[in-house]
Amino acid sequence: MSYAYLFKYIIIGDTGVGKSCLLLQFTDKRFQPVHDLTIGVEFGARMITIDNKPIKLQIWDTAGQESFRSITRSYYRGAAGALLVYDITRRETFNHLASWLEDARQHANANMTIMLIGNKCDLAHRRAVSTEEGEQFAKEHGLIFMEASAKTAQNVEEAFIKTAASIYKKIQDGVFDVSNESYGIKVGYGGIPGPSGGRDGSSSQSGACCS
Amino acid sequence: MQEPELHDLSDDADYAASLQQGSTSMMLRSDSVKSSSSREPEGAELVYTRDNVAIHPSSLASERISGRLKLIKQNSSLFMTWIPYKGHGSTAKLSEKDTNLYSIRAVPVSDIRSIRRHAPPLGWQYIIIVLSSGLAYPPLYFYNGGVKEFIGTIKQHVFLTRSAEDVNLFLVNDFQDPLQKTLSSLELPRAIPLAYGPSNISVDESTLVEVQGSGVNDGSSSAFHHQGRPRNKVHDPARDLSIQVLEKFSRVTKFARETTTQLFSEHHGNGYDPNYRRTNIHTPAVPGHPKKSSSVGGKVPHESPASGNSEFDELSLIWGKPRQPPLGYEEWISFLDSEGRVTDLNALRKRIFYGGLDHELRKEVWGLLLGYHSHDSTYAEREYLKSVKKSEYETIKNQWKSISLAQAKRFTKFRERKGLIEKDVVRTDRSIGFYDGDDNPNVNVLRDILLTYSFYNFDLGYCQGMSDLLSPILYVMDDESEAFWCFVALMERLGPNFNRDQNGMHSQLFALSKLVELLDGSLHNYFKQNDCLNYFFCFRWILIQFKREFQYEKTMQLWEVLWTHYLSEHLHLYLCVAILKRYRNKIIGEEMDFDTLLKFINELSGHIDLDATLRDAEALCICAGENGAACIPPGTPPSLPLDDGLLYSQQDDEVL
Ligand SMILES: Nc1nc2c(ncn2[C@@H]2O[C@H](COP(=O)(O)OP(=O)(O)O)[C@@H](O)[C@H]2O)c(=O)[nH]1
Ligand SMILES: [Mg+2]
Repeated sequence: MSYAYLFKYIIIGDTGVGKSCLLLQFTDKRFQPVHDLTIGVEFGARMITIDNKPIKLQIWDTAGQESFRSITRSYYRGAAGALLVYDITRRETFNHLASWLEDARQHANANMTIMLIGNKCDLAHRRAVSTEEGEQFAKEHGLIFMEASAKTAQNVEEAFIKTAASIYKKIQDGVFDVSNESYGIKVGYGGIPGPSGGRDGSSSQSGACCS
Repeated sequence: MQEPELHDLSDDADYAASLQQGSTSMMLRSDSVKSSSSREPEGAELVYTRDNVAIHPSSLASERISGRLKLIKQNSSLFMTWIPYKGHGSTAKLSEKDTNLYSIRAVPVSDIRSIRRHAPPLGWQYIIIVLSSGLAYPPLYFYNGGVKEFIGTIKQHVFLTRSAEDVNLFLVNDFQDPLQKTLSSLELPRAIPLAYGPSNISVDESTLVEVQGSGVNDGSSSAFHHQGRPRNKVHDPARDLSIQVLEKFSRVTKFARETTTQLFSEHHGNGYDPNYRRTNIHTPAVPGHPKKSSSVGGKVPHESPASGNSEFDELSLIWGKPRQPPLGYEEWISFLDSEGRVTDLNALRKRIFYGGLDHELRKEVWGLLLGYHSHDSTYAEREYLKSVKKSEYETIKNQWKSISLAQAKRFTKFRERKGLIEKDVVRTDRSIGFYDGDDNPNVNVLRDILLTYSFYNFDLGYCQGMSDLLSPILYVMDDESEAFWCFVALMERLGPNFNRDQNGMHSQLFALSKLVELLDGSLHNYFKQNDCLNYFFCFRWILIQFKREFQYEKTMQLWEVLWTHYLSEHLHLYLCVAILKRYRNKIIGEEMDFDTLLKFINELSGHIDLDATLRDAEALCICAGENGAACIPPGTPPSLPLDDGLLYSQQDDEVL
């Protein structure tokens, strides 16, 4: 399927916070409590529509354990958006956010849009991190924030789309040179050239890796 | 092991003993005191023995591993054995263990395809033995002479003919197989165009420097009164020899690269790529190596007017042996003596290498393959070990079992580890019947074993991926303690995969890149240009031994093949090369970048034909030969670490 733009996302955060479940909920609209843990990186993709434009999201889901960081870091390059996930029922996953953020800032491009997600909000009775704390952290670090549940699908769609909308807006504002793929954006057919950037015909990648 | 080198063989007891024996025929039982490394069974007759037969593991003449070559007759079969001297027979900077890897243990002479004799005008005579599988041993140098007798002795026992084309080529059991002749003739170090020299060996040289470090200027040549002379002395015969060896290697390498490239592009339409075309435009002509020259076979007369496409037939001959059916119970029993000892470990390894095991046998055989049980243990000894190990396991397990809640509260590291493991075991193979459903007790056993392991090996602890490795083992052993000890044995070799600094992974990825460079230069260049040389796209393959790439049953089959360490300890790296080569045209043709490549490789999961890939890997391993081995630095997992200091860099624990 062809697209106007392709955005590359990366999902990061401690192991077990629900990164893979969020991805699956977004791409397949289902919650699969029983699945294999992530080794290395895995992929998902889905089309969404923003401003009547078909946009393809190519999403990289990473393994969370510290030992793999030296490897997963190399996947940050060329990501336009990041979902930074913690588990609202496990305080330590919130405490580690700063270290994740540092990693992202160091290895990703500076204009990457970061969405902070407090996952498992269906488990409100076991909550260990308040919504306000999440909001506060996001505000301090310039992130978009949402609480979500991969299980009930609450806010999952919204989180991915809001991130895309923010990236889209940056393109419109001319923040990116979209002809430069290191920003994690590819222009497909009929993409609106950003004020600073690519022409319709500039992309030879149209549909290159659609699935 | 630190023994510098050998200047005078007379202080070698083994050597001295052999001198008394001479090289004539005698009963083995009179064979010497130190037969620890080569235990010949009773009733075997030693028909030939020669000391000071050496190989040069590298291109350097000064690097030499000396040993004793024997021909042994048992019943009506003749076996060849070459065992390096213990301790100080080697001037190569290799550990005893590495040295032993070169050993040739009781190879049936009937498995030999050809023997080529080389008698250079300067230097020592040597022979090159090529097995019917296409595998060639490194040249054996007869520093005490004896080539003629060797061939003469063989001639007395097996059907040996002299090649019509080459008086120095001896064919064991007459064969009509042009390709094998091709392989044999490849060994000929003559008439080598100069252009093939240095450019082809550059890889090896750089690798060798790393591997050998300071072992270069050890005056090993002193045994031949060359001590202290500059190594590049003009008429140093040893040096001439080493050049010949190098040239030979470079030809083999060239052959390997071109043959494999050709084979992959021409015979691997595997249906995965719908755009696959039979005559592929991407078949690379390696620069400077016009493709024509690759068909060394071209000059070999096709004696047998074989079926239609003779080129295909010819090439398929070396393309890995056909896989066999799994080893079954009846046949397994035939590998054991009456008390349960494995009588011929190498034959067993070979058999499993080519076919794997019937599932019912895995429980019994995996422990042996992994080295948990010794191959010369009896049934009774294995039963005994099992019970001893069971209580040992319980003791270790109790170390964490007995941690009270109050204690755990003050033991963050323990809590974190336990939490991590608990999260992962419920995400391991739950679609397999053995682990499915709520509250499956086997999932708890997985947890208990991993937690116990993290106490057994506290420095390494727990790391994601371990549960993938343990799952089939528990499934097969179906016993907590047995699974634990088999897992321990596996982790002895694969533990470095999980080091916090990832050094075990990095060294394997590095070796892989060297192998691709050796076996498919243009693919290597493609990766280089596209910033893919870190080979991270093969990370999952290597970390958990392809566990996620195949069905459960196929994974188990692959693992037992890998664990035989037959042909190479690092067959898994050749497997990586084999898969990459299968898809090389697609990768290059579609100009995949780092991201696309990673995605592509991930999505190959479930689409890889194991048997075909294993055959490819086998062929690549044989083609790469010594050059391949030289790409893999010593100590690269699953090889055991070089020194036995701290096995694992201390892991800071982690919850991330
Ligand atoms: N209740 C609840 N459980 C979740 C949710 N998301 C994930 N999980 C559970 O959390 C565990 C870890 O999820 P996973 O996606 O594998 O985490 P990852 O390591 O971050 O990829 C799984 O067993 C899921 O069943 C959620 O939104 N609500
Ligand atoms: Mg995951």
